Amino acid sequence: MDKNIQNIKNIFDSPSDLTIRKFTLGKTNINCVLIYVDGLTDKNLIHNHILKSLQIEVIESGKDFSQQPDQLLEELYQKAITISEVKQADTLDEMSLAILSGDTVLLVDGINQGLILGSKGWVNRAVQEPITEGVIRGPREGFIENLRTNTVLIRRRIRDANLRFKSYKIGRRSKKDLVVAYIEGIANPALVKEVERRIDTIDLDDAPESGYIEQWIEDSFLSPFPQMTHTERPDKVATALVQGKVAIVLDGTPFVLIAPVTFGNTLQSPEDYYERWMVGSLIRVLRYFGAFISVFLPSLYVALVSYHPGMIPSKLAFSIASTREGVPVPAFIEAFLMEFTMEMLREAGVRLPKPIGQTIGIVGGLVIGEAAVSAGVVSPIMVIIVAITAVASFALPSYSFAISLRMLRFGFMLTAAVFGFYGIILGYIMINIHIVNLKSFGVPYSTPFAPSFFKDWKDLVLRSPIATLSQRPQYMQTDDKVRMDKDGESS
Amino acid sequence: MKSFEYGDGELGKKEIMFAVPSMVIGIGILSLPRLLANATNFYDGAIALLIGGALAILFTWIAANLSSRFPKKSFFSFTPLLVPKPIVFILNVWLTIHFIFFVAYEIRAIGEIAEQYLFGRTPVEILSVTFLLVVVYSVSGSRVGILRLNLLFLPIICFIAVSIALMNITYFEFQNLLPVFTTDWSGYVEGVKLSFFSFAGFEIVLFYVALMNRPKQAAKFAAAGMGLAVGLYLIIFTTCIGVFTNDTTSTMVYPTIELAKEVEVPGGFFERFESLFFTIWIMAIFNTTAMSLDIAIFSMGSLFRNMKKVTRILIISPLSYLICMFPQNINEITSFGTLISYSGGLVTIFIPSILLAIAKLRGIGKCE
Repeated sequence: MDKNIQNIKNIFDSPSDLTIRKFTLGKTNINCVLIYVDGLTDKNLIHNHILKSLQIEVIESGKDFSQQPDQLLEELYQKAITISEVKQADTLDEMSLAILSGDTVLLVDGINQGLILGSKGWVNRAVQEPITEGVIRGPREGFIENLRTNTVLIRRRIRDANLRFKSYKIGRRSKKDLVVAYIEGIANPALVKEVERRIDTIDLDDAPESGYIEQWIEDSFLSPFPQMTHTERPDKVATALVQGKVAIVLDGTPFVLIAPVTFGNTLQSPEDYYERWMVGSLIRVLRYFGAFISVFLPSLYVALVSYHPGMIPSKLAFSIASTREGVPVPAFIEAFLMEFTMEMLREAGVRLPKPIGQTIGIVGGLVIGEAAVSAGVVSPIMVIIVAITAVASFALPSYSFAISLRMLRFGFMLTAAVFGFYGIILGYIMINIHIVNLKSFGVPYSTPFAPSFFKDWKDLVLRSPIATLSQRPQYMQTDDKVRMDKDGESS
Repeated sequence: MKSFEYGDGELGKKEIMFAVPSMVIGIGILSLPRLLANATNFYDGAIALLIGGALAILFTWIAANLSSRFPKKSFFSFTPLLVPKPIVFILNVWLTIHFIFFVAYEIRAIGEIAEQYLFGRTPVEILSVTFLLVVVYSVSGSRVGILRLNLLFLPIICFIAVSIALMNITYFEFQNLLPVFTTDWSGYVEGVKLSFFSFAGFEIVLFYVALMNRPKQAAKFAAAGMGLAVGLYLIIFTTCIGVFTNDTTSTMVYPTIELAKEVEVPGGFFERFESLFFTIWIMAIFNTTAMSLDIAIFSMGSLFRNMKKVTRILIISPLSYLICMFPQNINEITSFGTLISYSGGLVTIFIPSILLAIAKLRGIGKCE
């Protein structure tokens, strides 16, 4: 045993947080030792249920443990230790990983095996309201950094025996836990297999955030569009699982990945389903407009002003021309400057501590907008356009998708500057070509528009009444297709 | 990450149904009302259009029926079963050249019209080459992707076409359509010929039915798609005659675009509707060109079996760009277009019918 202790000490190079507690078992003279990392373990549990049982209660119960040494561990396991998670370990590697994960290892003198006692317990953030995805109506719980809590949040919503959690260890060094969640019998087995295959290929030394996983397993790294959604909301994950999708939960981050995702998904928010259908549908339509504006508005302005002034009604054209009179730069430069400033303000706002963040708003809004106009650098119309564009891009529920659209906006401004409307439409065609060729885990990104699944259109731009959404998305090719009776009575 | 096919079937019936009108609707409809108005009196062009359309639907049905007899086999893999090798070879060369010229015609025409309606100064060469590059980008993706683009674009195209008809309804005069049946026989024959050739392009079903998962439905849905195109042509032609009268229509270069010019958007939100119309119409022309280039590349692939797709794209695209710059003025472009549509007409009338007859007689291929 002493040799084993020495070995473990060598592996860890005896750091200050490694605790080694030697003691003798009950009335016997058998030497035992507990090894754990201070801070990763639940001290109470170790004191009350391990040490106390092994030292005091063993005496009180009057059991005799001084028998054959090779049966001793089994006896302890069966009769003495009063915690539920216990397993045997044979190798040092196994034990050291357990110690690092927060478990306690029990070694007994003269036995070449050990027991791993589950005693994980460290300080966690409490479950809070998700910060990045606020809703007015809906659950307030958000994921936290602890994997177990996160899986609990999911399981509490789906009490289905077929909900599967498959565990993986990610990272050569970090050995983080990762869980692939899906519902067997709903999710297409081919999809699950593919997700698992891709996760098996991951070979990183550490994955600090699920973004690493996302970028490793996504279909195309050249695409501007996100091919997985990430969310902090357990209700969103639960909805996705019921639709036959797969969720990937990584320890150490509150962001859970959902795959596959299509263009339509990126403009949906869980709130669409919580509000009544008319409200949900209208808000969704609003978002489609928002997406359109956030991509095209500045480029349309550039094209109209520099190539097709004849298309603007004459009164408006005059007023635009008169406000642009003092502006020294072409419309494209004007638009580009303003959009660039806008992006910089946004980025600055994210970085600044919250109390100072508000000042940035004032500086940006007042100083840059007002001052730039009165200095004659940009026209007031341009300021309006930038403002509308910014508001529109904030209206999108998915942050990563909004970023993609922001990138595209700059591209479209450039094509509009070179070719006007002709450039914009060619750019639009190119985006469409890209989208029909892009896939997210084998599902074309343009589904269900093309390939078209008309049945899924009920829940695309519009969100029809809950009772009419009787089927799971067709494009997911789920095993179990129906989710409720046609009459709206749950089956 | 390596791609993997899940949730991504082959072509369905909708894709074929949309592919046919997407191919047919393009440059042709912009000038067709003029040609028809020249050949016939008053509104008689509509009759010619209907007859031509009916023929087009019939031949679409024949072509789709022929290819659906050979599921999962494209045109060049089933023709050797029906006719001797040398004829297959000639067909192959002919089709390759036909589609290369077709692409050339489309990109030149789009450059010309864009210059006329959207720009004044940018040279045609630049406009054409940018368009060609976008088309090349689309054919470098998957073939199924091109057909899916039809699904995305065709509804928008139909919407804009129908809306210019509806927005012109205040200018529409019924007496412009009357009297009927005043044209002589040669006028009708000319009209039918013109309209039939303007519907050429449905030979694509010979190539795309092979990608379908249930080819049995091909013939029905391809014909239905053709019906859609005929309907749209009829709406445009009727509106042209009703708004402009026959005489005026026959003097306009692109009556359909002129029609868009007449539109006044309620509320005066913006003017010069024709720029918007043409901008959207670029999508229609794009669909036509993308499918033609795709077939040209595919067809060349059966001539040179070992050549990579990239190589074929790199050969065909510059070639069609060179060809498209040959015509010097608008008249030459028009006669260039006529030549191509005759070639297309021959392809669509004779090849599928004869091959179908052979297949039926010799009992090759699955019967329905």
